[in-house]
Amino acid sequence: MRTHCGRQQDSQIEAFTGYRVAISMTSNPNTPGIGLRLAHLAEMVATRPAAGWLEVHPENFLANPHAAELLTEVSLHYPISLHTVGISVGSANGIDRLHLKRVRGLAARLKPIFVSGHLAWSTYGNEYLNDLFPLPYNEESLQLVSTHISYVQDTLGKPYLIENPSSYVGFRSSTMKETDFLSEIVRRTGCQLLCDVSNVVVSAHNMVYDAYQYIDNFPADAIREIHLGGYTPEKDEATPGAELLIDTHAAAIADPSWDLYAYALRRFGPKPTLIEWDNEIPPLAKLLGEAAHAGEIAQMIDTKAEANHAAAR
Amino acid sequence: MLRLAEIQSHFRKAVVDGDTRGVATVLIGGYDPEKRLTVHQRNYQTGLVDSLLVKFPATAWLIGTPFVTEAAKHFAREHPPQAPCIAEYGAAFPDFLAGCPETQRLPYLRKFAQLEWYVGQVSIAVDDAPVSGKEFSIIDAGALPETVLMLQSGLHYIEASWPVDELMKLYLTEKVPDYFELSPADVWIEVRGARGEFQLNRLDAANFTFRKSVLGGRSIGDAAESALDINPGFDPGQALAALIAEGLITVIGRNSTGETS
Repeated sequence: MRTHCGRQQDSQIEAFTGYRVAISMTSNPNTPGIGLRLAHLAEMVATRPAAGWLEVHPENFLANPHAAELLTEVSLHYPISLHTVGISVGSANGIDRLHLKRVRGLAARLKPIFVSGHLAWSTYGNEYLNDLFPLPYNEESLQLVSTHISYVQDTLGKPYLIENPSSYVGFRSSTMKETDFLSEIVRRTGCQLLCDVSNVVVSAHNMVYDAYQYIDNFPADAIREIHLGGYTPEKDEATPGAELLIDTHAAAIADPSWDLYAYALRRFGPKPTLIEWDNEIPPLAKLLGEAAHAGEIAQMIDTKAEANHAAAR
Repeated sequence: MLRLAEIQSHFRKAVVDGDTRGVATVLIGGYDPEKRLTVHQRNYQTGLVDSLLVKFPATAWLIGTPFVTEAAKHFAREHPPQAPCIAEYGAAFPDFLAGCPETQRLPYLRKFAQLEWYVGQVSIAVDDAPVSGKEFSIIDAGALPETVLMLQSGLHYIEASWPVDELMKLYLTEKVPDYFELSPADVWIEVRGARGEFQLNRLDAANFTFRKSVLGGRSIGDAAESALDINPGFDPGQALAALIAEGLITVIGRNSTGETS
């Protein structure tokens, strides 16, 4: 079975030939947003559909002046977040400082509401390995990642959001839980966190732990953003008869992710939420529909919380 | 216990080269965690192969998608990206393809694939505001030979011993004849584009040399001399006027003595 990297970069801008439609804008980070991919860029410029906010991979725009020009136009109408895949804070031989400077340049132009990246490594020496690889959670990694995050934040001049990974393997040399590791880098660097709820579902299934307990242990005060993305089950070659969940971002959000999202909102309170869909990208309307559903869940939980609060009074 | 740098070195070998020996014993996940590395191996390879197929559809049309796909897999293994922007990945793929034993009977393949790479590059460029003839008119005529110019970023110049532009136009127009004979012929091609559009322009050797030299940062005088070496009848004034008229000049630079032109 052929699957794709969860954060694979875009290939090309698709021309949009539809009509411009007049829709009242509701751009606001408190309304769920969508990951904007090159396939939808021209359509976003042409139609400006209602969306809370947009998140892009800067790597899709740094070497594509035409796309960057369109993105600048989009940024006049929507809050933009930058979600990097190339700032490799977990690389033992250092982060790509040139790339970080390019990201800083884009951030200076777009004035993003967030700049985020991953608790992972993706570069080795001068090589970019086009995927997000796991780290052992121990003191050595903690020191390295904290140093790099501090450097990133100093360079960007703003807090950097770190996203929990989707995992297929871990390391025998880990000495702490992922949530403890995240808490400690928050404490050491003052960074903020992006909680990818679907990654929790994927990792908890693959590494056999309780997703709800993970949410309970997640350092809630540092969360600034939530992600939801689709995953794809496949046969687990490592375990006869078992299934592995692959973080493909190539499907609709699955029910376990929606359920965990509702639980996370109850625990964390309302947070800016984003739908990611990077492969086998559907029509824009489908993506916006997923964002609307996230909004309905958030609204329902918010209403219930208010009712409970009123009853308590 | 392996240090992080060692773990990452072994992990890289497993992902890129398929050699899992160094990392297998340090992993957890399922009964046989080593087998889960196939997820990362596949992500690495599929992402890069797909990106090359998107950039070289005409080359795949010419020599077949299965062959290009296999070549792309080898290329990804031997030439990992050097930067996180995948849009920049693949410049060396034409040379790699042309070096494959199976393509030795296609002497035009390298230039054809290079042409396709340049088409992709100019298509994502953005034009800057061009310099007008009026701005040129204030330059002292004596300073003109030493003046350097910056041209639009959506420009590339490629020469070939085969009419690879004709072959590209066949692909682009989707008008493939039952029989097409490609004969060797020297061609000088200007690839010009911006904002999703492009065109292929044939130039004569002298004009090609002049424009390529100017694009490469040589002064107008040096570029003209190179062109005149090829064709003594070359008219530098006319060539410069054409650059202005086509809106290709974006900056009038300093001369070799450092004075502002």
